[in-house]
Amino acid sequence: MTTTSEKLLNIENLVLHFKTSTGSVQAVDGVDFELGTNRAVVILGESGCGKTSLSKALLRLLPRNVDKYSGKVILQGTDVMKLSDEEYRQNVRWVGISLVPQAAMNALNPVLKVGEQVAEPAMIHLGLSKTEAYGLVYKMFQHVGVPADFVSRYPFELSGGMRQRVALAMALVTSPNLIVLDEPTSALDLLTQANIMNVLKRIKHELGTSFILITHDIATSSELADEVAIMYAGQIVENGDAKDFFPAPLHPYSQMLMASVPRLRSDSDPMFITGQPPSLMNPPDGCRFAARCPFRFEKCSQEPPVFQKGNRKVKCWLYQ
Amino acid sequence: MSVVANTPVENVVVKKSLRDSTFLRVSRYITVRLVTLFITVVIGIYLTIMIANMGGFVDRIIKGEIRDRVTQSFLVNPAYKQMDPETRKNLMQEQIAQEEERRGLNTPIAIRNFNFLSNALTLNLGRALNLTSDSGSKQVRLIILERLPATLLLMGTSQLFLFFSSIFIALSLSRSYGSFWDKLVIALSPTSAVPPWFYGIFLILIFAAALKVLPFGGMVDSPPPSNTLDYAVNVLKHLILPGISLVLSSFFISVYNYRTFFLIYSSEDYVDMAKAKGLPANSIERTYILRPTLPNIITNFSLLIIGLWTGALFTETVFLWPGLGRTLFQAIGQYDIPIIVGSTIIYAYMLALTVFLLDFVYVLVDPRVKIGS
Amino acid sequence: MNTPQNSFQKLLQYPSAIAGLFVVFALVAVAVYTMITIPYSEAIRLWRGGEDVWYQNPRFAPPAWINYFSSKKYSESFAVSTSKGQIEKIVTPGNGGTSTIEMIYPFDFSYDEYPQEMLIYFASTFDEKQPFISIELSTPDDRTIRIANFAVGNEFTYRFSQDEKLLAKLRAEDVIPALFTLPDGNAPLKGTYQLHIIGTTFEPDSDINMEFVLHGQVFGLAGTDHARRDLTLPLLWGVPVALAFGLIASVGTSILTMIIAAIGAWYAGWVDELIQRITEINLVLPFLAILIMIGTFYSRSIWVILGATILLSIFTGAIKGYRAIFMQVKESMYIEAARAYGASSPRIIFLYLIPRMIPLLIPSLVQSIPAFVFLEASLAVIGLGDPVLPTWGKIIQDAQSNGALYKGYYYWVLEPAILLMITGLGFAVLGFALDRIFNPRLRDV
Repeated sequence: MTTTSEKLLNIENLVLHFKTSTGSVQAVDGVDFELGTNRAVVILGESGCGKTSLSKALLRLLPRNVDKYSGKVILQGTDVMKLSDEEYRQNVRWVGISLVPQAAMNALNPVLKVGEQVAEPAMIHLGLSKTEAYGLVYKMFQHVGVPADFVSRYPFELSGGMRQRVALAMALVTSPNLIVLDEPTSALDLLTQANIMNVLKRIKHELGTSFILITHDIATSSELADEVAIMYAGQIVENGDAKDFFPAPLHPYSQMLMASVPRLRSDSDPMFITGQPPSLMNPPDGCRFAARCPFRFEKCSQEPPVFQKGNRKVKCWLYQ
Repeated sequence: MSVVANTPVENVVVKKSLRDSTFLRVSRYITVRLVTLFITVVIGIYLTIMIANMGGFVDRIIKGEIRDRVTQSFLVNPAYKQMDPETRKNLMQEQIAQEEERRGLNTPIAIRNFNFLSNALTLNLGRALNLTSDSGSKQVRLIILERLPATLLLMGTSQLFLFFSSIFIALSLSRSYGSFWDKLVIALSPTSAVPPWFYGIFLILIFAAALKVLPFGGMVDSPPPSNTLDYAVNVLKHLILPGISLVLSSFFISVYNYRTFFLIYSSEDYVDMAKAKGLPANSIERTYILRPTLPNIITNFSLLIIGLWTGALFTETVFLWPGLGRTLFQAIGQYDIPIIVGSTIIYAYMLALTVFLLDFVYVLVDPRVKIGS
Repeated sequence: MNTPQNSFQKLLQYPSAIAGLFVVFALVAVAVYTMITIPYSEAIRLWRGGEDVWYQNPRFAPPAWINYFSSKKYSESFAVSTSKGQIEKIVTPGNGGTSTIEMIYPFDFSYDEYPQEMLIYFASTFDEKQPFISIELSTPDDRTIRIANFAVGNEFTYRFSQDEKLLAKLRAEDVIPALFTLPDGNAPLKGTYQLHIIGTTFEPDSDINMEFVLHGQVFGLAGTDHARRDLTLPLLWGVPVALAFGLIASVGTSILTMIIAAIGAWYAGWVDELIQRITEINLVLPFLAILIMIGTFYSRSIWVILGATILLSIFTGAIKGYRAIFMQVKESMYIEAARAYGASSPRIIFLYLIPRMIPLLIPSLVQSIPAFVFLEASLAVIGLGDPVLPTWGKIIQDAQSNGALYKGYYYWVLEPAILLMITGLGFAVLGFALDRIFNPRLRDV
């Protein structure tokens, strides 16, 4: 067991709630996990489980209507939650953690050339001159597979796949140890998806970066994952190595999730999970999956703690 | 070491032909645009001329006026009393005919309109019928040029102040969404439903009639102060109330619109990305919020420039401000067609020019826009 | 999608919207009330005025309620007559067909300012011999002033202030103040005065009737103008006129703009181009100047102005906005489905495209009402208002041309101005709130 200080990232009880006109949305409600160096974790979950909010919580991209934001985010030994906004901006943003957003079209400034946008963080955070920064840009473009002359193009001149690669190059330019990717392939066609995943695998191998890949696309992400975390109703319900997880998911929700993926060679129909995920505004007491869980019993009316099963963690009374 | 990159073949081909045909494309576009704008101006002016003549209706009015005036002058003039009725009547007819000739009422209206049109288009503005410039000339060009500075002064100061202050304030408001000032501006925005001259009346009531600290109207005291400094101060004093009316009427809605506008632009995803990248706040504001809004702001600014010319007809009238708006109003009251046509054609040309230039400005400012799109 | 009930509930969340709604409802109520109690033809007749309509009122009189706010009390106006039984009339027949008709009217004068004028309108019936009148005024301190005596014909008007003999007798500069002060005092003598008229008729069927009119310094709810007209008439009638003009112009313009934008977006091609060109031409035309020209050269009738306003307001930049949205909607699935089943173009435009737009229409419709209301008022202020209609703008114009601001008749300008403000602001505030509900781009903000 690796100790905490060796881990790249250690998240404890991360909470992010939003105020809305109808109530408080508890999008991220006590998330814990760890991530080592050069490791990729995939955070899987349905829509509405709080995944994108998790990426915002990890990157301190808070909207105006924040109700609660707390917890510990220990990045390379420092709890970055304690840093002021300015310290965070200078020391953590992009140099510590960077982001590849969903649907990169809108994530790129339409009136700036892509080269400029990729060079920006290098100039700001690494103090490079324009020429030096652009040198990095070309290098990054090479890594992700974007032709060099695209540097002087505008986002609208690029195809979807190209834009996503540019976003990836941008995320890499300051050589952060951790990149968060929020649904990096869901807006792309299958071929491009495969391409991007290949690029990610190569970068992980060549640059030693760690990834947090947040998605609902189980199939594609399984290629990259070293570890898997399952998110449900704002919480992480299962956590473990990918090679342990995929053959045998532990949490009932994970099991039903995996069973719902259609298999190429299978006689049985994919399963579906009855019911709806609980509202993030009024999460139920006790285990949040209990209402839909076929294995529930009386203990489930209390919220289960996280149980350790070898290297794996499960938030379910079945594993007490 | 690049993975098979997504370089579609079309990109390369398009780029090449793009370079070659850019010149042709641009020149074609410019020609088409100029021609369309010109036709638009022509039709617009012609319509205005037609309305100003009201299809001969105005002629009847003017003829009636002439008849009345001449008859009256004859009745009053003792010299004519001696004459016998026959001679007097002939003399009257002669004078009436002369007047009609002078007013151009003898040429058929279609031809007259056409003459007006062609003269107007070539900026040969002719002579006014009734109005005169302060220097005594009846040349429309001079009359307009004379009244122009007053309008420019009033509109210029108020509109420019409005423009820059609302953008500046809106920008800072967009940062503090939901704050007290934000709510205040939202609450006060409906006050812009009230036109400037209306505020003017209240302001006159308070400051001129009741408190007696500011003048009722006009641009300068009469007799005006002799030395330049006093003159300038005096003009400024007269500028206050009409200026405030104009600003007050548009201020809150202007701030609100820009604030909403900036808010929408600052909730774009790429602004979030800029924040995530750790760019400093003022850099984000400049490059990620303001830059994309430039086309819009420039459009507004150019509309402002156009508006400077038309002036505020009612506000100038209420404040007796000697500008073009008031002149136009007086001209209408006196059926002074040349002036009406004169100011309209200049406005039309200014408008066409601004619209035309805007196309090119957009290209400079927004990379998504290309000439001819 | 917002249902009407849904939207209404959301609207009520904004206190400003509630205020706006309240104002709008109040205005509509006043308009309806006015049109019922003072029907149109009656209003026109009254507004046209004339001596016989408004003679009872003073001129340039502020409203009577300023007395509540003023330390100096201004004399209030009144008019009483024998035919309405307001004046005590005692007929005492005498000999030979004569009779003495006594007409007595006591009234209070407890003001600090004197009336503008006092008049008595006599109407008598007789065959040959004119009746004879003797007028006396008793003061609170029991003096009796002999005012005048004369013979009256069928109709006779006695104006106190014009009586030279009386003036000489009182040895004063003005008749009326002199009547109401002590002989050697300066301040008005307050108390109950009594007008005592003794009439003598010389024939059996001869009769005298009188109307006593006192033009005070103040009058009524809203005051009077230069033609003695009670300002409550145009103030009240201004409401339906302003509402009608604002609503018709706004609704007409919005609907027509939308229809034309839809047609342009749907048919595209040369139809679209044509509409764009017309819009550009319209941009060149000087809107206000043209309206003023139409009003000056052609007709000031409010319908003509209304029509011209709508016509000039349709082809504006708003078309581009609607057109853009229609272009988007045009590509949507259900439009394709409609084409597939063979719906005709007009059908698609009117049944599919346009109903989609109506929610977007509503805020801009309401928000443009104040502009049109003020436009009508502006035209009236410069003298191009409808010649027969009593409107708020007309009041301001009358006030301006009579120098109200210089002469201190502030009420004359303030009353219509405040009503205009309230109307404009009410609709503006309501439209603003509606915008925040219906405008999709504002919802996230």
